[in-house]
Order: sequence, then C-alpha cells, then structure tokens
Amino acid sequence: MRIIVCVKAVPSTTEVKMDPVTNTIVRDGAQSVVNPFDSTALELALRIKDERGAAGEDVRVTVLSMGIPDTERLLRDCIARGADDGLLLSDRAFAGADTLATSYALSCGIRHLGEPDLVICGKMAVDGDTAQIGPEIAGLLDAPCVADVRRLVACDGTSLRAWRGTDAGVELVEAPLPAVMTVAKDAAQLRMPSICGVRASLAAPVEVLDVAGAGADPERCGLAGSPTQVVRSFVPERASGGAWIEGAAAQQAEQLLQIVEGMGL
Amino acid sequence: MDVPAAGMKGPVQQGCTLIRHLTDEYDDYRHDESRSQGEAQSISFPTTEDEVRAVLRELHPSHTPVTVQGARTGLAAGAVPHGGHVLNLSRMNRCLGLRRDDGGAFVLRLQPGVILSELRKYLKAKAIPASGWDAASLQALGELREAPEQMFPTDPTEASACLGGMAACNASGARSYRYGPMRPHVVSLRLALADGDMLALRRGEVVACGRHLELATELGRRISLDLPGYTMPRAKNASGYYVHEGMDAIDLVIGSDGTLGVITELEVALMPVPPVMWGVSCFFADERQALDATCGLRDGVASAAAIEYFDPASLDILRVQRERSTAFSALPLLADDARCCVYVELHCGDEREALDALDRVGKVLRDAGGSEAATWVARTELDRESLQFFRHAVPESVNMLIDERRRTDPAITKLGSDMSVPDERLHDVMRLYRETLAEAGLESAAWGHIGDNHLHVNVLPRDMDDYRRGKELFGAWAREVTAMGGAVSAEHGVGKLKRDFLKTMYGEQGLRDMARVKLAFDPAGQLGRGNLFDESLLEGGA
Repeated sequence: MRIIVCVKAVPSTTEVKMDPVTNTIVRDGAQSVVNPFDSTALELALRIKDERGAAGEDVRVTVLSMGIPDTERLLRDCIARGADDGLLLSDRAFAGADTLATSYALSCGIRHLGEPDLVICGKMAVDGDTAQIGPEIAGLLDAPCVADVRRLVACDGTSLRAWRGTDAGVELVEAPLPAVMTVAKDAAQLRMPSICGVRASLAAPVEVLDVAGAGADPERCGLAGSPTQVVRSFVPERASGGAWIEGAAAQQAEQLLQIVEGMGL
Repeated sequence: MDVPAAGMKGPVQQGCTLIRHLTDEYDDYRHDESRSQGEAQSISFPTTEDEVRAVLRELHPSHTPVTVQGARTGLAAGAVPHGGHVLNLSRMNRCLGLRRDDGGAFVLRLQPGVILSELRKYLKAKAIPASGWDAASLQALGELREAPEQMFPTDPTEASACLGGMAACNASGARSYRYGPMRPHVVSLRLALADGDMLALRRGEVVACGRHLELATELGRRISLDLPGYTMPRAKNASGYYVHEGMDAIDLVIGSDGTLGVITELEVALMPVPPVMWGVSCFFADERQALDATCGLRDGVASAAAIEYFDPASLDILRVQRERSTAFSALPLLADDARCCVYVELHCGDEREALDALDRVGKVLRDAGGSEAATWVARTELDRESLQFFRHAVPESVNMLIDERRRTDPAITKLGSDMSVPDERLHDVMRLYRETLAEAGLESAAWGHIGDNHLHVNVLPRDMDDYRRGKELFGAWAREVTAMGGAVSAEHGVGKLKRDFLKTMYGEQGLRDMARVKLAFDPAGQLGRGNLFDESLLEGGA
C-alpha cells in the first residue's frame, strides 16, 4: 500500500511577513514548521502503516511538499517520525503559486511517485486557510475525495471509512481507494520521533525535483499558472465604535432595517 | 488577587503612609503556595528602595516582626507571615538597567518583584522595559538587541516566581543540573537591614577570612561575624545559611530565606541561549534501569543540561488524567510498556554536536537495558512545549488528586520531599524510599531532578492516618539522608515547614550558630521570624 502525505511549510508564528511587491508571503524558511493540519495527516498515515504493517502488509508512507530547498529539513523531520521517504518540488518556477497551480504541481509529484492508494492532506493550511488543495488534487487525479475527516474508522487497502464534518454535523462515509482524504487538526496528535527515527531520517532518501524533473508544464506552475491575482494586501484597520439598537424587538428590527437601507443594501 | 490601591484604608501608624491594616481584603497575603496560613497586623506594598527603608525605619523601634513576600510561590511557607508586618515586594517589578561585564556578558539590574516569566518574555523579544534608564544602559540594550538571544538559566517549575524570592531561597530547577542554582548567577545585590540601613554586596568584593566576615553598612555600622562551623553537604542544597571558608559575602545572603535583610535590588548575569536544545524522554520497563541510565548519562553525556525522572506511579496518574480530563487530553500518548521515564535535555553548539550527544544517549539506554525506540526526541518548539506540558502535568495531576481527597477529608495535604544525596548514594536513597514506603503501606508518586539525586517523593495520603505516618517517614528520611551526606532541602528552602529537618541536618549547635549570624544582621530578630529556626533561639536578641 502506498500513502502520500502532502505537507506544507508554514510560518511558526502568526506574525507573517508579506512581500509588498508580489503580495505573497515571505518564506525565508528560518521559522517554518509543518502545517499543523498536515501533521495530523501524517499521524493518520502512520497509524494505517502501523495497523496494516502489523497485519503483515507492506505500507510505504511518502511525504510530499512544494517549497524552498530548506523544506527538506521538514520532510526529514516527518521521516524521523515514521515516514519512509520524501519528495520535494523546489524550483523558482513553482513560486507564487495559487491553489490551482499548487495542486497541479503536487499532482505531478504524485504521478512521479507512481499510483498511490491514498493521498492525505491537512484540511487547510494555517497561513492560507483555503481548504482547496486536497479537493483540487482529487479532481486532478480523478479520485474520490473525503474532506474534513474527524475520525478515521478503517482503511483496509481497498476502501476507507471515516467520520467527516458537514454543515449539519458529522457523517460516516466510505470511499473506494485510491482516494484523497483531507483531515481536521484534532483528528490525531502527531507522534514524536525516537532516537532510531532521527538516525533513520539522516540517511533516508529525499528526492528534490524541479519543474522539468516533475514532468510539469511550466505554464501551469507558479505565478504563470495562477489565475488568482492578488491586487493588493493590507492589514485591516481595527473597527471601533458601533451603534446600539435598543427598544422592543419590533422597534429594533425597524431601526436595523433603516440602517441596512441607508447602506444601500 | 489584585493589590488594593493605596489609600483604601487608613495607615496603622502615622509615620509611614505605606503601612496599611491587614484586613480581610488582603487575605491572600496570609498564605503562599505551601497552603500554610499565617497572621499579621499590617501590610505594605513599596515600589522603591526608599519606600522599603521608610517602612523598616517605622517598624524598627517597636521591633515589629517583618515577613518579606515576593510572588508567594514558595513551597516552604517562608513568605507566610508570623505576626507583625507583611512587606510585599510585588510592586517592585521594574528592570533598572543593563551593562556588560568584563567578559562581555550582559548583566541585568532588577527590582526584586520582577516575575521570571516576564523576564523570559523580555529576553525572547529582546525588548526590556527601559523607562528611566541611563545612556550607558540604553547603549547596552542596543547591543543586546544585536546579540544572540539571551536567557536567565535558573528555571524553577513555577515561572510566576519573582527574582527576589528566587534569590532569597536560592531557587533552582531542572537546568540547575548544568547551570547550578540561582546563587552563581547573582552578581550583586542591595540589602535593606531591619533598621533601614543598607548593605551593598557585589560578588568578589567582600570575602571571608577563613570563617570570619567583616561587613560595613552604608551608614557605617560594622557587622563582624564568625560563620557557623558546619560543613556543607556534597549535594544540591537549599538548607539554611550557605557557608564555607573564604566564602563570598553575597552567597550568605542568597538562600537566607528573608532572615538577614530585604533584597531591594539585584543584578543577574545573562547567557546566550544555546543554539540547539533537544529534549529526550527515555522510557524503561523498571526503575533500576532508569537509575542505571541516570548514572550513565551523568558520566557519558557532557551536554546534558537537565536529567529528570518520573516514576511508575507518576506515569499511571498521567494516564488516568489523560483519559479523564480534557485539559490533559493533549498529553502525548504513553506506550503501555512504559513504566518509568528519564528525561534528558541536551544543550549544544550545533546540530552535529547534538546528534553526537543523541548517539551517546542511545548507547547509555542500551547499556541500561532500555531501547532507542522507546524514546521521544523533541527537536522542534512544538515538541519541546509538548514535553514541558508532560513534565508539568505530573505535579498538577497529583495536586488535583489530593484536592479530590480533600473533599472528604479537608485536613489532608500533599506531603512532598525535597531531599538530595551525593551521586554515589542515588541507588541507596531510592532503595530507602521504596522499602520504607512499602513497609508503611503508603501511596506515593516520585519525580524530579534525578541528575542531582534530588527527587520529590510525594506521599498521597488517603486519610489522616496516612498523613501522620507520611510525616513520620519524612523525619526518618531526613536522618538517613543526612547520614548519607545529603541535604534535607535541595531547592524549596527551609522556610517554616522544614525547621525540624534543619535541626536534624546541622544539630543544635549548628542552629545556634545560624541564629548568631542572623542576630548580627538583625539584632532584634525582626525579619523572617519563624523561618529556619525556632524563635526561642532569637530570644534576648544580639
């Protein structure tokens, strides 16, 4: 069984630096950590590996990322915790990607690795909050997608069963493999590495590919492949003040209506 | 509790408006973290050294007892009042200046009420509040901003402790294994004496001639004293006055439990944060393996900055808490076969050195019968926080357990030991603890600073009979530990709760010698009454 876990390097702090010219996040790598949602994704992959491995099945977990060369450090940390190997897509031509270009690049990486049984992503990244990558990868791979998994019930090599979040609560779903799954942060807690794991991570293979190596179309990568154009980014002003609406419910509703009409809505 | 604003109540005495009646609104100031309750008639919250001196001058003629308080996080009741006045220094919480010493190290001048967690925040952000600083200090602050991140190494579990209190009890923590307790990091201090006179002590300036010290106050009083003749234990120690031949005078004041004077200002030396800090939790099937590993780590891993231990009962308590309480659900999951844990923290110059140290830890584990696979290696900030949560959850869980039992018997409290022995007696003292606890049929959980042979063995009384037998057992341990060359209090200080143990350790003569030192500083015996020794030893004054 082959599981691919997509991980993203995100700033370890909420104080994100923006490039005023490109309107993209400055990723200098110095303070980057694995996106916490992706940590959960890795733990679920490792649990499948533990469970299926105990049953005698050969399960291989590969961590995949697109990022600057320093991201290799994070992939090796994932290997120290139990992943088998890693693939890093790193090329200036990948930079500035929106979710479409990112999921395209990652799907190229997945195809490079061969046909996986399961791709697991964090539901979203703490720096972008889009929650689009997993479903977009599923679309590009033409695989079913189970989004926002709260609890993985079973994954037996042919299908997965999981509780996923919905607007109405949670539902139990089953999907045939190969599939893509995105996971909520609280679905599991990533294990720590052992001394053996740290040692293994030093020698483990981490392949680094550029656009050509990944077999990707340069026109669909990075800024060139991103239909999303950020025109301007700014720190929103903190609104203060506000108006109190008082009186009986009917009076309050009337006042509210006047305010809304006054705003031209 | 918020400190009520000055002016809410009339002053007790006309001469000093800082002194207030200690009414019920100040109830929190009758106790500290030891949960002992005291009594006092008045309280003050000075903000400057001059105000401390004014309060002391007011109280001196009547020989009013004065108990000094900082953040009241102590566990030995040193800050619990014993009549008279409470001098609370929590509002003396300003950083006063910064300089570099001859070796280039940063030295920070503080008021005693600065909280350790605040200091850590300032240093991490390289943003120390510098209001009122002189030009030289501001220049040093500019240099600090450009320098590698700095830290203050003393790390008691309770980060809400204040620096003055930490100096008063010679606090320590996990990293004291490498960096020592508070004492060596205090460069200078200013001490207000009971009559309001001042003593300025700077490391290296006043040293004893043999066991004789000569000091001069700022008003010209000479303090001439012969230091006690007892020998300090060859173990981590916070028991009574620290003395040895040729000692530095400043070291006598550090750890004196507020009995010699009031620390109004102190300078502490900072050091660069080590470039690489990794924490490794190692799990074992039995305690013997953990003890052998501890000895191996001490001998074979030079970069170890802390070596801590959690016994089987501690880990079982954590397992239960993790299941029962959402507050502990984020604890890392313990393997079923993990019976006890040794945590070692590695401070290294670079990753290559850390990897080498990790290999050495692995060898020690294998030699002790453990396994490299049964380890947690924390290399990221998140993992380090997770392990810190794990370590701090142990005492917190035990406190919750005791609180539960107090619902049926409110008189019960936790009984926690604080004793240390020399390195070669680690296995002996553990055998003593295990055998006597089993004989007494007492429930317990032990954890703490095993690298320094300093464990907090906690008896968890189920009823008052357990509590009484636990106290008796601690008395017996104090005798045995003293015989092994150890200390009855290694880090919490003696305060009011461990006076009997101090007598066991130094004998009647030792206590009389200590009382003589105290009376040389404080002839009327006003300061820290009830701390270290019985008041009867102070009768008659100097």
